[in-house]
Amino acid sequence: MIPDTLLPSPQDEEVENLHPEIDPLDERAAVDPALFEDMRAEPVFARAVLTSPLHLAVAAESRTNNWTVWNGFTTPATLTDLGDEYRALRGAAALMDISPLVKYRIAGRDARPFLDRLVTRDLGALEVDRALHVVFCEGNGFVLGDGLLFRLDDDEYRLVTEETHLAWLLDSAVGFRVRIEDVSATLAVLSLQGPLAALCLAEAGVANIAELLPFAARWTEIAGMPAYVSRTGASGDLGYEIWIDPDDAPHAWRFLLEKSGPYGLTPAGFDLRELARLETGFPRAGKDYLSAFAAIDAADARTPFDLWVEPLVDFGKPLFNGREALRRLVLVEPRRRVVPLVVDGLEPARFAAVHANGRLAGTATSIGFSPALAANIALATVDAAALAASDLAVRAERREGVSVREIVLPARVLTEPAWNNPRRLAIPAPLKA
Amino acid sequence: MAWGGRKYDAIVIGGGHNGLVAAACLGRAHRRVLLVEARDRLGGAAATAEILPGYRVSAVAHLLEGFPRRLERELKLGKHGLRYAARNIPTVALDRDGKHLLLPRSRKEFSAFAAHLPKDAVAYRDYISRLQTQAALVAPLFAEAPPKPGDAEALRQLLRRLVWRAELGGGATLRRLMRILPESIGDLLDAEFESPLLKGALAFDATLGGSEGPYAPGTAFRAVCREAMRMQGQGVRLPQGGMGSVVDALAAAVSAQRGEIRLGARVARILVEDGVAAGVEMEDGFIVRAPLVVSSAGPRNTLLELLGAARLETGPAMQLRAPAPGGTSAKVNLALEGAPQFAGLAPELHGARLVISPSLEELGHANAACREGDFASDPVMEVTIPSMSDGTLAPAGHHVLSVLVHHVPYDIEGGWPARREAFVQRVVRTLEHYAPGIGDLMIAGEILTPPDIETKYGLAGGDWHQGDVRLDRLFGFRPAPAFGRYGTPVPGLYLCGAGSHPGGGVTGLPGFLAAEVIAAETSVKRTSVGQLDEREPA
Repeated sequence: MIPDTLLPSPQDEEVENLHPEIDPLDERAAVDPALFEDMRAEPVFARAVLTSPLHLAVAAESRTNNWTVWNGFTTPATLTDLGDEYRALRGAAALMDISPLVKYRIAGRDARPFLDRLVTRDLGALEVDRALHVVFCEGNGFVLGDGLLFRLDDDEYRLVTEETHLAWLLDSAVGFRVRIEDVSATLAVLSLQGPLAALCLAEAGVANIAELLPFAARWTEIAGMPAYVSRTGASGDLGYEIWIDPDDAPHAWRFLLEKSGPYGLTPAGFDLRELARLETGFPRAGKDYLSAFAAIDAADARTPFDLWVEPLVDFGKPLFNGREALRRLVLVEPRRRVVPLVVDGLEPARFAAVHANGRLAGTATSIGFSPALAANIALATVDAAALAASDLAVRAERREGVSVREIVLPARVLTEPAWNNPRRLAIPAPLKA
Repeated sequence: MAWGGRKYDAIVIGGGHNGLVAAACLGRAHRRVLLVEARDRLGGAAATAEILPGYRVSAVAHLLEGFPRRLERELKLGKHGLRYAARNIPTVALDRDGKHLLLPRSRKEFSAFAAHLPKDAVAYRDYISRLQTQAALVAPLFAEAPPKPGDAEALRQLLRRLVWRAELGGGATLRRLMRILPESIGDLLDAEFESPLLKGALAFDATLGGSEGPYAPGTAFRAVCREAMRMQGQGVRLPQGGMGSVVDALAAAVSAQRGEIRLGARVARILVEDGVAAGVEMEDGFIVRAPLVVSSAGPRNTLLELLGAARLETGPAMQLRAPAPGGTSAKVNLALEGAPQFAGLAPELHGARLVISPSLEELGHANAACREGDFASDPVMEVTIPSMSDGTLAPAGHHVLSVLVHHVPYDIEGGWPARREAFVQRVVRTLEHYAPGIGDLMIAGEILTPPDIETKYGLAGGDWHQGDVRLDRLFGFRPAPAFGRYGTPVPGLYLCGAGSHPGGGVTGLPGFLAAEVIAAETSVKRTSVGQLDEREPA
């Protein structure tokens, strides 16, 4: 008996006759190369594992093969060694690929009114080629996200955020003549931070870089490729961000390393960015606070007053999202606050729980060992009532070999950022360390 | 008439019955009111239209079901010319085989009903008494403004009153009401009755004006709401001279309060200055200022177009995007050269409200067809012959027939221009079945599809509720949580149309309650409407 599978299936014959005009034995027949292209249509958002346009250039610098994920993008945690990278950042300059940031282009004749209603801050002072740190809230005054808002042209803006907000932006766009595009995939970003950042750019041929004001930006050329350079970056020090076409970005990366390598420019990974951010005390959306829509427990949603000492809320504007709620919230003391902590102890420790008077009073959401302070630092969400307590402490885990020991380390609220160099705002930017 | 020179305290947008009621009540509260209506006549869907010279009929809405007596007295509508041609109009469920069913209102009628449907009689009596107890619980909520969102004390008081009333009614009522909240009217009726005709008629009443079929969850509660709405008035009534006479009386009431009415004045924009309503800009660019703008136009039209979504926060603007109103009723008005004879129907019942909805199945089919963008092969409808009791509508011996056809889609496959004729034919064929020879009596007719109702009478989507009456869009959630108490996030801008609590129908309640809230919230002067608050609604 012959198994069914060995019999020619009736369908095969039909297939053979489908294209009688094609002779499969004709070797000289003209072939359309398009036939051999991968035609599987890929939905734009179907891909879950994303790589930055700089991925191969960055991967070439990796000595650790230590990768992490940032907004779905494969990102180096460290490229060489966190200590080396840190020394470069604080002593010379570090170059990081921050393309995984979410970038929106907001353009149209109503772009300004749209943004005026979207963000809590007054945008009157935002000139073309300038950037502002903005916060946007939902109707109850809870923060959805924060980011950097660039004004590229009279009616064109770029909003750079940590998390995606497209749905909220589109919902908010109803009634405005405004176009909102997610340009994350078509715009690569390099972050060049450190005391020698201006020098590195000058070496790469960027003219008059020292004259660029803090939070200002301008178009320039790097190795003949157009690039938009802004004096921004959350490192607490001099720093620039380079906004560039994704096709040009790997060349710019290599060019910068080649030209400025001798001055100590070092490629660095995501861990360094997090450490620098922690030393400056900037909370990160999704890590130190939850977007109001992501906070399942309403107590996890934060108001701008909980998050920032200068919360960038301008009640002079007649209308913005959350205005009425924030007017009420500004009158009451925040219940919880996000504060920077410094924790005693001379070696890196892992901790999350923050105690006051022996009772749980909060959670450290970002932790790290700050070489600048030679201490553990953290950003923690702490009950406002507990902030005044004298005996703030964290429960830390200390690993010894494979065993773990729980120890209580005293903590203090940090009044000054761990790193805030006046170079950050110096005019003109220093070209020497 | 002074136009710009005069100062107004309030501008009412839209001269439908709710706009007129709001204008008259604000006038009573010593506000100088300007009412602007975009069309050349007042009333919106409450209007009397002429089919032929001498043949007049209520154009869209044709019965007065929940018009509160309180409102009639306050505004002295009787003095302003409102008369009734018929009161307490009975409902008859028409049967295909001529065994029509008069829904009983009295003991005598009940015994006839019991003889007709012995198996369902007791169940029907129970059903009605239960429906009325439940409706009595809900009815006071319809007669007062919903509590302010976030005002815990007001909400607590409201709930306490509700629970007290329920306890007085035996306690089981509230529990039963809770149980039927998500239930469908079809399931409820199937469990209790046998007669398909009775079930069809009761379900027809529960679903009329909505887009849901009889087996849709929540429709059982709609039956309660409908009954509660009826309790606001005093039985089903027929105003003499059609719906237009209600509007005429209301307009006279507005004028009596020194209110000014401008026709053909279309508002292009609601002006906001410093975050506060400042007046309106007319289509011709003319600007009228007033610190109070009250709109009886649909909530979406008012807030998303006239005000502009840009002037609201994202959240409230988003809430309005959801309830896109879509009417599911068409109107057919016929002029007849003679009296129609419904087979098997007693002559005195020809003036009744005749419901053609033979069974739940057919109602369900009509709904399914409507959802698929078609009208039913056997349309379900509500027929009145107003000229039976109102001689002013047609020449002697002649009649007008007013037919409300339910479950007719706004967007029809093939487009309404192509399908109109077929639709009329189908309605007439159905009528012909019940009243043989009616086709020959027809001398003229007018058909209003949902799009016609929208363009001719200004009801967005042809929906007289300005957004479905659903559980999640009632009370303080109507039309959306951010606009639940007639107010809007813009101080000085209020809603007073059917889109607000308690909903559509010629009841005047949204306008009346809105005026009450406005008078309370903006009490710059001593108001007489304020006195109304003290009186506990019936």
